[in-house]
Amino acid sequence: MNDALARFCVDHPGLLWLLPLALLPLLVSAQRSTPVAAIAAGPADGLSRAIGRVVRAGGILSFAGLILALSGPYRQGETIIRTGIGAQVSILIDRSGSMNETFAGRQPSGAEESKAAASRRLLAAFVGSRAHDQFAVTAFSTAPMLVVPMTDRHDAVRAAIAAIDRPGLDYTNIARGLAMGLSQFGPASPATSRALLLVSDGAAVIDPRAQDALRAAFTRLRPNLYWLFLRTKGSPSISDRPAGEDTPQAAPERHLDLFFRSLRIPYRAFEAEGAEAVAEAIAQIERLERDPIPYTEQRPRRDLTGLAYGLSLIGLLILVAAKLGEADLRRVRAASGPTAKPRASAPEPTRLAA
Amino acid sequence: MTAASLVARNLRDWRLRLLAGALGLVALTFFVRPLALTRDGVAVLAIVDITGSMNVRDYAGTDGQPASRLETAKAALRDLVAGLPCGSRFALGLFTERRPFLLFAPIETCGGFAPIEGALEAIDWRMAWEGDSRISAGLFRSIDLAAELGTDLVFITDGQEAPPLPSSGGPAFEGKPGAVRGLIVGAGAPGLSPIPRYNDRGRETGFYGAGDVQQENRFGPPPSDAESREGYNPRNAPFGAAAATGTEHLSSVREPYLRKLGRETGLTYAHLDGPGGLAAALKTAATPRPVPGRLDPRPFLGGAALVLLLAAFLSPHLRARGFPTWKKA
Repeated sequence: MNDALARFCVDHPGLLWLLPLALLPLLVSAQRSTPVAAIAAGPADGLSRAIGRVVRAGGILSFAGLILALSGPYRQGETIIRTGIGAQVSILIDRSGSMNETFAGRQPSGAEESKAAASRRLLAAFVGSRAHDQFAVTAFSTAPMLVVPMTDRHDAVRAAIAAIDRPGLDYTNIARGLAMGLSQFGPASPATSRALLLVSDGAAVIDPRAQDALRAAFTRLRPNLYWLFLRTKGSPSISDRPAGEDTPQAAPERHLDLFFRSLRIPYRAFEAEGAEAVAEAIAQIERLERDPIPYTEQRPRRDLTGLAYGLSLIGLLILVAAKLGEADLRRVRAASGPTAKPRASAPEPTRLAA
Repeated sequence: MTAASLVARNLRDWRLRLLAGALGLVALTFFVRPLALTRDGVAVLAIVDITGSMNVRDYAGTDGQPASRLETAKAALRDLVAGLPCGSRFALGLFTERRPFLLFAPIETCGGFAPIEGALEAIDWRMAWEGDSRISAGLFRSIDLAAELGTDLVFITDGQEAPPLPSSGGPAFEGKPGAVRGLIVGAGAPGLSPIPRYNDRGRETGFYGAGDVQQENRFGPPPSDAESREGYNPRNAPFGAAAATGTEHLSSVREPYLRKLGRETGLTYAHLDGPGGLAAALKTAATPRPVPGRLDPRPFLGGAALVLLLAAFLSPHLRARGFPTWKKA
């Protein structure tokens, strides 16, 4: 009951100040008033009193119902937690300038598609393919940028993905990007399946201090990590050992991969050298993320205006019926004398006196 | 007198008629359907300046504490989006250096309010990818971006160019003035305030001093008054020998400059007075875009019924006190 009351809301609370008007029927009546010499002359009549109370209640009901209806009452929507198949996916997108080149490392011309345009097209299809997935989008170049927080509004996520083939920015600062991408998960039940999808065409050195912080965050959240590496043709692969010294500076991609492997979380890297390979990788991710996820379903709010009008209608019906059945004692007396009083008017004097 | 004649007589009672009228109106509320109508929505791209001068705290927050220009701009945008009619569309971008960065393409503002609000909340000066603040270049490219997206533009900035514009002025606007409509919103107080300074870990360490910033742009040809400066030498010291002095390390809203940009580009200038009030300015400046709306006629019926009900209860008493009523009993 308390719960039901707590969820009761109105659109225009200011109008509720009119509610004292509903006490008006206690003070005045819409019935005709008849002067009687002595009210005590009539016997106390239980039925009359009851009718009097009903009419007053009807008046209160019609006022209160109308004022309530005007203020727009509704019962708040509630959030129900259900379980479906899906995942919380935090998409982390590289927006450095090279993403606007083709997989061949050129400026796109004619029918050629840039890496950003290809990932935009394929990711947009990925978002919304399952109803219960939740997505967050983070972009990063020199600094990470929170684009859309974790949401189940797939339209908004697609709008964010639609922006990723705009001209990119400067550098690839992957450590800060990863940190913000992880922070997008927020508090959720431990059963929730989480996936961090990194889409980038390069890597950068993560300094050791940042490595520790990232390692801690990965251990705490335990997301499934997918790295969609959009490799430009001819550039080193994740697995290639550099010819010279094997340092993070010489082969950042390889060392980022090694770092990810050392995290002891489910991790897969997809190396894509073209749009088809990207599509294949995304399809694979979709197949892998098949855990049940608790998702929230928003039950819409329920409009109670009709109910309030209904209450008011009942009150008004009582009032109108009382008015229809009312007799003018003076006229009745004048017309046919007190003995021929119609039955309907019998409770009248006591009711008015009550 | 029979019951039938009694009812017939009662039917002539005007108070009964008032009550019956109210009853009829209330009964009608169960049958009317919402009227379909077209409302004026907007489609708008908001670009927020996140350069250093936007961290200046020259607004008062809700709790009376100083609030930064950026926080105030975020609150104003949130207020704006919340007040837009459903069906309006909102896109968001950031500005620093010399270009806007689109965060997301237009989203419908009612269904997408939660993500929009979250994205607005997350805007931070730390997202900036470079430190310069070339407002005119950023504004012109934002206008192009809005034209591409087919939206109007709200560009929130304090108008402080960093580095300062050369004496020859900024770049000229090459587009068609007025092709994209919208607002340039000037954030900040008219008085000068110090600009907070942050270290490379993002912690605040004080304020910028006069020597920390470029006070005069010494690229390009020197200004016309250079010859009268002390130590002027056309080859060795074309800007004079003295170090430039100025107030570029302090910040105020540069209204004359923003108004000039507004005239050049056909955008309307509005000052950001606090965490609200953008809606009215945008409504006059933006292109109205029809969005489907619904009008619920029930409040009109209910209001009329309440008036009739009040009249039925109160009018005999008002008349008794000498208030004029329209009908005799």
